[in-house]
Amino acid sequence: MLRLVSTVSRPTSTGLLGKVVASSHTQNCTRRPFSSTSPKQADITLTVDGKEVTVPQGSALIQACEAAGSTIPRFCYHDRLAIAGNCRMCLVEVERSPKPVASCAMPAMPGSKVWTNTPLVHEAREGVMEFLLANHPLDCPICDQGGECDLQDQSMRYGSDRTRFHEITGKRAVENKDLGPLVKTSMNRCIQCTRCVRFANEVAGVEELGTTGRGNDMQIGMYVEKTMNSELSGNIVDLCPVGALTSKPYAYHARPWELKNTESVDVLDAVGSNIRVDSRGVQVMRIQPRTNDDVNEEWISDKTRYAYDGLKFQRLTTPLIKQGDRFVAASWEDALNAIATGLAASGAKDNEIQAIAGHLADTESLVALKDLVNKLGSDNLALDQVNGTSSPVHGIDIRSNYLFNSTIPGVEQADAILLVGTNPRHEAAVLNSRIRKSWLHTSLEVGLIGERVDTAYGYEYLGADAKALTDFVSGKGEFAKKFAAAKRPLIIVGSSLAEHPDGQGVYGQLAKFVEANKSKLVTPEWNGFSVLQRAASRSAAYDIGFTPSKKASETKPKFIYLLNADEVDPKSIPENAFVVYQGHHGDIGAQLADVCLPGAAYTEKSVTWVNTEGRAQLGRTAVPPPGAARDDWKVIRALSEIVGSPLPYDDVLTLRDRMWDISPSLVRYDITESTSTDVALVGLKTLSAKANAKVSGEKFLKPITNFYQTDVISRASVTMADCTKAFVKNEKEEFSNLGKGPQAAFA
Amino acid sequence: MSLLRACKQASSLTRQNIATSSIYAARFVATDAAPPAEVKTESTSSEIVAPAQPPRDVMVADVISGAPSELRHRAVRIYQPTRNTMQSGPGKGERWRIDWDTLQGGGRWENPLMGWASSADYMQGTKITFKSKEDAIHFAEKQGWDYFVQQSTVKRIPPKNYAENYVYKPNQLRIHRTK
Ligand code: SF4
Ligand code: FES
Repeated sequence: MLRLVSTVSRPTSTGLLGKVVASSHTQNCTRRPFSSTSPKQADITLTVDGKEVTVPQGSALIQACEAAGSTIPRFCYHDRLAIAGNCRMCLVEVERSPKPVASCAMPAMPGSKVWTNTPLVHEAREGVMEFLLANHPLDCPICDQGGECDLQDQSMRYGSDRTRFHEITGKRAVENKDLGPLVKTSMNRCIQCTRCVRFANEVAGVEELGTTGRGNDMQIGMYVEKTMNSELSGNIVDLCPVGALTSKPYAYHARPWELKNTESVDVLDAVGSNIRVDSRGVQVMRIQPRTNDDVNEEWISDKTRYAYDGLKFQRLTTPLIKQGDRFVAASWEDALNAIATGLAASGAKDNEIQAIAGHLADTESLVALKDLVNKLGSDNLALDQVNGTSSPVHGIDIRSNYLFNSTIPGVEQADAILLVGTNPRHEAAVLNSRIRKSWLHTSLEVGLIGERVDTAYGYEYLGADAKALTDFVSGKGEFAKKFAAAKRPLIIVGSSLAEHPDGQGVYGQLAKFVEANKSKLVTPEWNGFSVLQRAASRSAAYDIGFTPSKKASETKPKFIYLLNADEVDPKSIPENAFVVYQGHHGDIGAQLADVCLPGAAYTEKSVTWVNTEGRAQLGRTAVPPPGAARDDWKVIRALSEIVGSPLPYDDVLTLRDRMWDISPSLVRYDITESTSTDVALVGLKTLSAKANAKVSGEKFLKPITNFYQTDVISRASVTMADCTKAFVKNEKEEFSNLGKGPQAAFA
Repeated sequence: MSLLRACKQASSLTRQNIATSSIYAARFVATDAAPPAEVKTESTSSEIVAPAQPPRDVMVADVISGAPSELRHRAVRIYQPTRNTMQSGPGKGERWRIDWDTLQGGGRWENPLMGWASSADYMQGTKITFKSKEDAIHFAEKQGWDYFVQQSTVKRIPPKNYAENYVYKPNQLRIHRTK
């Protein structure tokens, strides 16, 4: 037994030993103690339920059992959170151990024999279950977790069939907390697994969520009356194994068994988080994350999760033609004919025909629109962003100039990160949680040039403008030295930099710096120059070349086709141009239009999305588009027929064939294709040629001021409006009346 | 037996027709679940057209199954449903599923009387579960369906250890655990 105990502590002690040894060489002392790339440790072999299984040393016993195919019930253990070991549901029997052991808190030991399905184990779990249920209300019929509740399921399997609960004082009662407009609490149901606390602490960076009291009086809360202000807060709803934390917008709307699950891709930022769209009938009822370690792990941002109610409001359901100052509903035929007439009447030819692609345009429709516009003799393909009507400063010839080359999981390997003109917390919330993870567990150093923001991890502030960058590049300052010493440095360039007046110079300086340090920044294993896009359609648009030629960008358009373009500046549209808007929401773009064509939103079409890494992913139709709305590329195809230059594809497969012709990476789904070192260097060369461009010294501003409302869907969403009110404008109230009454008395 | 053989021949004929008339089907729809690595080697050969698949001897069931012929025109998706993030149980996690895309327009509507969801598409409530990807692909081929295989994702969970909570970290303390 003693000998066994000494092996228990071995992983830690070896870790410590390793560090002691390392710290004698000052160079190595900052090596990351554990991360995905740490040197492979030895494997150990043990027996679980008579099955031999080999796991890496330092694994928890629960992981070994899982590897052996024996499921262990658990409440507090979670693959992506630190181990707490406080629910005791994961008890297993280990040979020569006098008591059942909690398999999550016990390291797997070589040669040990473990049983997960013996009478002792069952009895132990039944006992644990009885204690948990002693204070858990029996309100499953009115609980939103019903049907997908771990406690419900496990009590069916391990619970006792009769009660011994005869307390005259009744069950524990806990006051509900107000965590804001997203998370509904019902704290009576809490079993104190502390998953929510650990998530908030480690992943979201909300250190105010914690526990107070102990034993029966332990409570989960924010210590003081305050909401949980985090862009990842929705994930604690998923994590909570019982119904203590449930989703406020979804409360009492549906039961899990009524929902049809469709695995799809999110488009509200450029990360391309994998989501599962749960729908009932023709409505999206909720959006859940889908685990994918290459993209979003298991988390999604609150915008991704809760903006779905925007899909119900402000929709364009039928084609509209403007007559005088109002829109009149029309049939598809009339609307398309009106466009053909409008195009002819506007007298637009060649580059006077302009197409503007917005944030939510899918790849198929981008390709179709580009082909159509090109067929009409125009090269005037603009993007819906500042400076979108001229070709982007980073060019589009080399992919690595505008993609997130290090890849999203690669961020965790970086040991120094420089953020330039970006706030990843709002531009790519899930990616930001990876940076935080790495910042917590390794000695990662982060520097920021741009507007000061709360990133959920500490950073060194270098300055707000191009001058700070010049200093950094010339090696001035603490951080520049740390960056130079780093083994895998990473520069994350925000997408707003391309829209900045100093964009050219900044890109040039950065490229020059990367070239000078190419032995570290651009190697076959590591490309440390990454551009973080923030619009779902942007990488695809660059990939297919949806940018204007120089000549075209100087032409004043007479016919403008807005494809999901809702950020356009109304002043930039010439007075007498004929404007067509195609999209799914009646927002700014539709207001400007002479003809509106209703398209499908991302949950309503099965199309390709390319994320900021250049990873093509295929979304999926969950619900049919409302009213007469149609798939976007089909609308463009139909229009092409009417304006007299039909596109050569009749079904989506031929269209994807065309995409293959443009760039095979657009249809190689679910993988990222890295740019080779040589090509990446060529790309950097084109950038660094402009390193001496004049800089105005204007400050880099963050492009997203309100995380909750960045696109048509989230602007139409009531939940997101509530969030804006609560978290951006900090107006409390209306979500609950908790704050009105006297201060909650905490027992 | 002879009937079966006839079916087989008929199927191989139709199969060839499909293959010649629509190369893209071989390329995108009927992607043969090649792992990413293989896809990459394919690309380096700078071949635009994917190499032709060796003919497989598949007994085609749809000739005698009596299934409506419209089914042949709808691509199915073969994928591994991910675990529900609301729950921790990994059960059914290794299964593969075939299901059909929701149809545009006619696929679903709300019943005007009761508000229930109605559908004209008899496949939209259908899903078929298989033990492995190969089983699913084999089934789809047997039925003569075009299919798209969505690769399953690789799980990367590092070894976890309770002792990590107490590991000493040099430099500044970066987290104050509230648990
Ligand atoms: S609220 Fe839910 S997740 Fe948080 S400790 Fe209680 S049971 Fe666990
Ligand atoms: S899962 Fe092991 S103690 Fe909770």
